[in-house]
Amino acid sequence: MALKGAEIMKRLPKTNCKECGYATCFAFAMKLATGGAKLEDCPYLAPEVKAELEAAMAPPIKLVTIGVDENALVIGEEEVMFRHEKTFFHEPGIAILISDKESDSDIEKKIKDIKEFHFERIGKELKINLLALSFESGDKTKFETLVKKAYETTDFALILICNNIDVLFSAAALCADRKPLVYPITKENIDLAIPKLKELRTPAGVKGESIEEIVSLTSTLKEAGLEEIVLDPGSKNVREGIRDQTFIRRAALKKGFRPLGYPTITFPCFMYQDKFKEALAAAAFITKYAGIIVISPADKHFLFPLLVHRFNIYTDPRRPMTVEENVYEISEPNEYSPILISTNYALDFFIVSGAIEEANIPAYLCIKDTGGIGVMAAWTSGKFNGEAIADFFKKYGIENKVKHRKLIIPGVAKKLKDELEEELPDWEIIFGPIEGSDIPKFLSKEWKK
Amino acid sequence: MILIGEDLNVMSKQISLAIKERNPEPIRKFVVGQTQNGMDYLDLNVGPLTKEPVETMQWLVKTVQGFTDLPLCLDTTNPVAMEAGLKTCKKKALINSASGTSESKEKMLPLAPKYSAGIVLSVINDAGLPSDADERAASILESLEFANELGVPNEDIWIDPVLLPVGVDQRQVSAYLEFIQMIPDLAPGAKSVCGLSNLSYGAPKELKVLLNRTFLVMIARYGQHSAIVSGFDEELIHINKGEIPEIVNLIHRAMNEDDMDISSLPQKEVEYVKTTQVLMGKTLYSHSWLEV
Amino acid sequence: MKYEAPLEKYPVNIREAVLGKGEKAIKIGGENTFPFHFFEGSLPDPPGLALEVLDIQPENWSHWVLEPFQDVVSEPVKWAKRCVDVFGAEILCLRLLSTDPMGKDASPKQAAVIAKKVADAIDVPLIVWGTGTEEKDSRVLTEVARLCSGKNLLLGPVLKGNYEEIAQIALEHGHAIVAQASMDVNLTKELNIALCKFFPPEKIVLDTTSSALGYGLEYTFSIIENVKQIGLINRDNMMQMPILADFGGECWRSKEAKESKEQGILWEAITGITFLLAGANLLILRHPDTLKLIKEMISEKK
Repeated sequence: MALKGAEIMKRLPKTNCKECGYATCFAFAMKLATGGAKLEDCPYLAPEVKAELEAAMAPPIKLVTIGVDENALVIGEEEVMFRHEKTFFHEPGIAILISDKESDSDIEKKIKDIKEFHFERIGKELKINLLALSFESGDKTKFETLVKKAYETTDFALILICNNIDVLFSAAALCADRKPLVYPITKENIDLAIPKLKELRTPAGVKGESIEEIVSLTSTLKEAGLEEIVLDPGSKNVREGIRDQTFIRRAALKKGFRPLGYPTITFPCFMYQDKFKEALAAAAFITKYAGIIVISPADKHFLFPLLVHRFNIYTDPRRPMTVEENVYEISEPNEYSPILISTNYALDFFIVSGAIEEANIPAYLCIKDTGGIGVMAAWTSGKFNGEAIADFFKKYGIENKVKHRKLIIPGVAKKLKDELEEELPDWEIIFGPIEGSDIPKFLSKEWKK
Repeated sequence: MILIGEDLNVMSKQISLAIKERNPEPIRKFVVGQTQNGMDYLDLNVGPLTKEPVETMQWLVKTVQGFTDLPLCLDTTNPVAMEAGLKTCKKKALINSASGTSESKEKMLPLAPKYSAGIVLSVINDAGLPSDADERAASILESLEFANELGVPNEDIWIDPVLLPVGVDQRQVSAYLEFIQMIPDLAPGAKSVCGLSNLSYGAPKELKVLLNRTFLVMIARYGQHSAIVSGFDEELIHINKGEIPEIVNLIHRAMNEDDMDISSLPQKEVEYVKTTQVLMGKTLYSHSWLEV
Repeated sequence: MKYEAPLEKYPVNIREAVLGKGEKAIKIGGENTFPFHFFEGSLPDPPGLALEVLDIQPENWSHWVLEPFQDVVSEPVKWAKRCVDVFGAEILCLRLLSTDPMGKDASPKQAAVIAKKVADAIDVPLIVWGTGTEEKDSRVLTEVARLCSGKNLLLGPVLKGNYEEIAQIALEHGHAIVAQASMDVNLTKELNIALCKFFPPEKIVLDTTSSALGYGLEYTFSIIENVKQIGLINRDNMMQMPILADFGGECWRSKEAKESKEQGILWEAITGITFLLAGANLLILRHPDTLKLIKEMISEKK
């Protein structure tokens, strides 16, 4: 929501006539702000006021979709400079660059490898589903072959990188229904590009040598009714990139400057030869506002850290990250292995499970669903007390997993021991360490006894 | 502001034991004390009350009503206990509380029209606690629609914007202050309520009352209808009655960010000014906020 | 509407902390704008990059990260010199893990002797790090402070439960301290207020504790960003100290880092660059390749 309810309120009739279905104009304004109502619902708005409100209520950074269906990349509609102010909303796309200079077999292999990548983290799939196809051969047929190959053998969203406007759009025509991003649209080719963009209705990647140049390009496109735009300010390295990305986002969010109100695209693949530097640059742009990051083909050891990084930066800080409730088996425990229990707050899970792994002592880690809140808060609200844990034991048949009857509980949950001794009279309840990171020492000292 | 006394609470060992043993004497002390100090309602906080909910609640309400004529605020998450309490209340009761979650709408909210009771309606919904004022507004609008359709008029709805401890999430305190000002336009005729003591949870023991009293003045200025407070904080009660106008004026001036030469003020007044600045979000909270 | 570069200027500076003494002393902090925002403010001191050594033999270190030091890990002095002379570390961090009460439980005197040997063997600033056990660290760091008097070490972690003793002794012997409060801006401020009653703020470096990529990186990132803003934008002078991020160990302990050298380096480097982007003024790293990589990235010009 670009405009706050209180701001919208100022333009409403303020008669509280209720014809929109709400008791007051203020209530209607709040609903409009959150997208729960439509401007049309108010019969008393003058057409100019309605148009003004519509323009003002539009999100400051346009939502742009590249690709279709499952693999569509949706970027834009960001609201903050810093994720702790609210959250970042739309994960940037990570696109892998394939050049048409390569041999057909190399291209086939690269595409195959990319399709076969499978990454996951705490149960969530981390996708690579974006290809950037680059015209470097100088040969139109080669480029079109590459585009066709990508289009026919994958469902991925596509970015077409081609500095020859005719070749660019003839290739785009081959995959038009996949809504590819055509790049670059520049001051040199924009006049030729506009009619073709109108025809294809596909998003446009605008490139300028400076931010001012981009401003005039987007304004021209907007006048032609074309608003699915992604911006490239032409940054040459990370330092320039941070400056340009910051300026664009600030202008859009803080100044309401519409000509820069679009998501951006960055090219670490063209900035750095060294793979490690390219990866760091990609991470920097993920952190600093980029909507698309184009990288060179790489093996999984380069891709996985970037995917996890993107996942981390784009988690919503307002919602605690959780893992699924389960009995996790760490390092292949058997019926004599220790049992520990904790909450499903992801951070705690990582610390505890990581510590157990480090200890090299196989164990069962019981993770109870507490809605993602930590031990003490969960205990207070009854989600991690004696009763709740006893239920968990029944549900997961813990008694059948081990021959011993010892349960290790988080050291901070002081009152939990008494409660559990009542609920599970056959079990010895042992306090684990207060800090998860002390688990290795604790287990090696206490469990081995 | 209407004050609801919070001290009859099962978190207190005395009260918890008295209820368990059906011993009216400790109950009497708390009830009479709060009544004499000028509370307008008494909150009966029994928690989830999983054991013998009906008999326990009936006994408690009857016992309390034997010692006071004040209307009661029934505080439990258990709808069975709540209903038993509502049946037993002589005066129009206040249900504490319902929320925008599907479960609460299904189980708790219908008790209000059934027993013609007032109902505390919190901004929490299935997505959890809203993170800012606008989200609170969206949540409460939905809940109000639902409640109105069930036959509960706004006048019987006491909106709880949910007050978080300033030491845990200071921004939520600012969100509270922003939201409370929206209520008259958002929900004409609706009342508001909060658990004032939540604000100072975790703060240094001797400074909790300073936070609570300052905030009371601030929300009173924004039209807050009622608050659940300690029935034994005498200065708070005096302030609420308008008997200490100098402090109220001082806090208002700090809210206006009037030019004030702090160095010329007596210690107690400096403390109120600094506390106001923290509660407005102008200064980052720390337990030593008075020492900076 | 014409485009004007949306510059933002902040009226205050983060304090500058000086680590070490002499020619190789390093300054961190001093900036009046956000990281890498050279276009709208001044960042006089590049981020400090430290390598860490342990005073015991590393256990369970993956092959990739042990490799550069394999032949010297049993001798802290040699290990430290390797980091400085061969790998170009401008700052060194010595972890006194031998003092862990649940481990070797070495005495404060023993630990201080090691610290002095290392401090004498190198000319770059030295960070001396305890085990986070309040009572033991207090005694250990006190001994270290005395024996290394005048060397302007950076001693840590200083915690709510032991700051009075450690800060006092640091003051007497001319050292700086790391004030550590875990993942909480209010507690960070709290500790700083308590310290600044008697300890100079310009000799404090903040540690909000760090989590590695995939293990809570975003919590650390946002806390560091928040602390930096509270200092620069809200002008809270109890939050204007430089910030360090200590995460090399946690990165390399992860199972992901153990899978291959590339993934390990990237795990540490990506974590590091993220914290620099948040506002960290000093990073404590484990692998020399990570240090080299980050150093090259931050040294690039426009």
